[in-house]
Amino acid sequence: MTIDWQAYQAAGFHDELVLASGRARNGAGKLVQALGKLSDDELAERKMAADLAIRSMGITFSVYHEGANIDREWPFDIVPRLILKREWDEIARGLKQRVRALNAFIDDVYHHRRSLRDGVVPEDYVMKSREYRSRCAGIDPPYGVWSNVCGSDLVRDADGSLYVLEDNLRVPSGVSYMLENRAVMKRVFPELFEHYAIHPVDDYPSELAACLRSLSPRDVRAPRIVVLTPGIYNSAYFEHAYLALEMAAELVEGPDLVVGDDDCVYMRTIGGLERVDVIYRRIDDLFLDPRAFRKDSMLGVPGLMRAWQAGNVALANAPGCGVADDKVIYTYVPDMIRYFLGEEPILANVPSYRCAEKDHRDYVLDNLQDLVVKPANESGGYGMLIGPHSTRRQRDEFVRVIRANPRNYIGQPTLTLSTAPTLAGSTVEPRHLDLRPFILSGKDVYVTTGGLTRVAMRKGSIVVNSSQGGGSKDTWVVERATKEQTP
Amino acid sequence: MTANVLSRVAERVYWLGRYLERAESSARLITVNTNLIMDLPVRLPLGWRPLIDITGSGELFESLYGKGNATERNVCRFLATDTRNPGSIINSIVGVRDNARTVRENMPRITFEYINELYLFARSALVPGQSRSRRGEALTRISRLAQQLEGFLSQNMLHDAHWELLRLGNYIERADMTTRIIDVRTVDLIAGHHELEPFQDIQWRSVLRSFYAMQAYHASVREPVDPPLVLQFLFNDERLPRSYLRCLNSVRRSLRELPRNGVAVDACNEALRALHDTDVARLGGMVHSVELHHFINDCQVHLGELHDAIVSTYFG
Repeated sequence: MTIDWQAYQAAGFHDELVLASGRARNGAGKLVQALGKLSDDELAERKMAADLAIRSMGITFSVYHEGANIDREWPFDIVPRLILKREWDEIARGLKQRVRALNAFIDDVYHHRRSLRDGVVPEDYVMKSREYRSRCAGIDPPYGVWSNVCGSDLVRDADGSLYVLEDNLRVPSGVSYMLENRAVMKRVFPELFEHYAIHPVDDYPSELAACLRSLSPRDVRAPRIVVLTPGIYNSAYFEHAYLALEMAAELVEGPDLVVGDDDCVYMRTIGGLERVDVIYRRIDDLFLDPRAFRKDSMLGVPGLMRAWQAGNVALANAPGCGVADDKVIYTYVPDMIRYFLGEEPILANVPSYRCAEKDHRDYVLDNLQDLVVKPANESGGYGMLIGPHSTRRQRDEFVRVIRANPRNYIGQPTLTLSTAPTLAGSTVEPRHLDLRPFILSGKDVYVTTGGLTRVAMRKGSIVVNSSQGGGSKDTWVVERATKEQTP
Repeated sequence: MTANVLSRVAERVYWLGRYLERAESSARLITVNTNLIMDLPVRLPLGWRPLIDITGSGELFESLYGKGNATERNVCRFLATDTRNPGSIINSIVGVRDNARTVRENMPRITFEYINELYLFARSALVPGQSRSRRGEALTRISRLAQQLEGFLSQNMLHDAHWELLRLGNYIERADMTTRIIDVRTVDLIAGHHELEPFQDIQWRSVLRSFYAMQAYHASVREPVDPPLVLQFLFNDERLPRSYLRCLNSVRRSLRELPRNGVAVDACNEALRALHDTDVARLGGMVHSVELHHFINDCQVHLGELHDAIVSTYFG
């Protein structure tokens, strides 16, 4: 038996590869056809080859489980997700626009607060955001850019329309898996690459290095760049090590760095202290500097904020950039685009209700069963209520927490996330997915070609986070080189 | 010369080198002792105790197993699988693995897989109280996997500062182990047991076997096994990879590739000078003379100072 595309049921969903008629979507013909030709054994063989590649390439992520951190192999689905280049170009334009506006907003928050005075975003929301850092006021990071590496999550609803679900402006992760997914696909399905003009993704590390170099406070030929990691027990340690290696940067932990009396940052090497110019930090603001923020932080570097404020070292992303990462602030991004850029947003926000506003709150409380309720500052899919999948008890609990702290919650309609065929046993079934492209902003702005497609491996689930049973797929941005085909 | 190895990484790599060497030599030690025991009459005293003394862990052993309980079973358990013994084979391999985890990105990617294989094998194959043959197979394989790993690194990792630090760990541990083995193995097993004199030869052969150096001795020395010549060979033959002289020379060579090496090179030169100024063969004239023991103590002190110099220069 082989994959029976006629029997593939993605009814009620927008499927990324297959139309409701069972025909391949525009551009996906060759792929659907090639997969349909594989026998069960061949399909199982490819799956095994992928698992083996992941194991031997050592692609892992860590999860905290029963009191111990363990390395898990990266869950990967062998059926790629396709996006046409023409559509992607428009998305990339939209992402650049969005990130430009977000950075302009953050810079404004820490300087003149023009947008707050003009009522674009309520001042109160900003100043009371958990991610607002008063110490950052008046600082001028290079090019006025605060979020140098942004990972925005995109989703598609049942009617195929695309939304930005959130912007991860602080320390977004996942890009290494985007790169590794492609490497695995090339090993497992080399012949598929013959049929398609698939845009490469592997320029990301060099683009990241160029972006970071452009931030260097010293005008030297080869500024010293380091990746600051919390250490091997962090769930994204694999990625920290991967990026450091690919960029030929040093992977450091807090104790490897020291701030001198000259307010410069140095790393301890066997040759003595060596000046550091740019720190790509993968630890949260509050842990960066025990003198400035959390005093109990063992991960940070005492005096780092002082060095940054003195302009002797660049921090990417800049501390305080999370103020725009707040999910309540998110609801104002289209307004920011209009205000700062004088343009209409190219990408839409998911319609959102702010629980701090009475009429919005009443609507959310009356419709909990149909809505998704999100806390302002959590990530990884934690602390959310998914109304249609919730119990009475969970809803009652959310009524309580929303009333107790309305500023901290937004409600959104439950989107019916789009699907793509995903291997389940010896056939494929639709699974829900999202897409996280990465946007680099320094001297120039760069968007990954595609991004990381995350997929909920459990049937019916819309939770794509790897910590909660999500997997991933290779994401192909393709030129439309083939005619539509019926499999 | 690269100067930009992080001190933390340098320390990890150095200890990786030491633990790897320690795991390998401990496995070898138990194997050689098993063979020696089989070649000697049962009445012989001090069968397994010397292994505890070689590793310098007499006190810990007695606190765990009691005095006078240096049976084959207890000693092998203590040296191979006992997690309460920081120097046991299993703990050494865990040490290799833990250190490698944090320096993964400084070695070929596949290295960690080899290390994991070594760890998983040791954990499943070493069982307290197993038969001699089972134990022998397991130890031989561990020794081989460890040597394979060293060989792999030698052939595949970039010979940069990381490599030199790994070698420093290897050779300092090796020098340490070489002197310990000579010290304990030359204790006179025979004294006071006239009926055992024919076996004196076997004892000295086992010293050489501890280093896989029986054939090498014949090829190099071209004389029958004779205590003074054996000592001269093990201490001073630059062609023998595990000789004390060779280990020190290798340490010095690696140090010269590293920055700020002044203090450590001085410490290494001190150790070499002490060796140079000692007539090792004469010390071996009388089996286990007090002088030999003192000299080996001096060697240990020099190695300790060398280690301290490396720690304070590079890992501080």
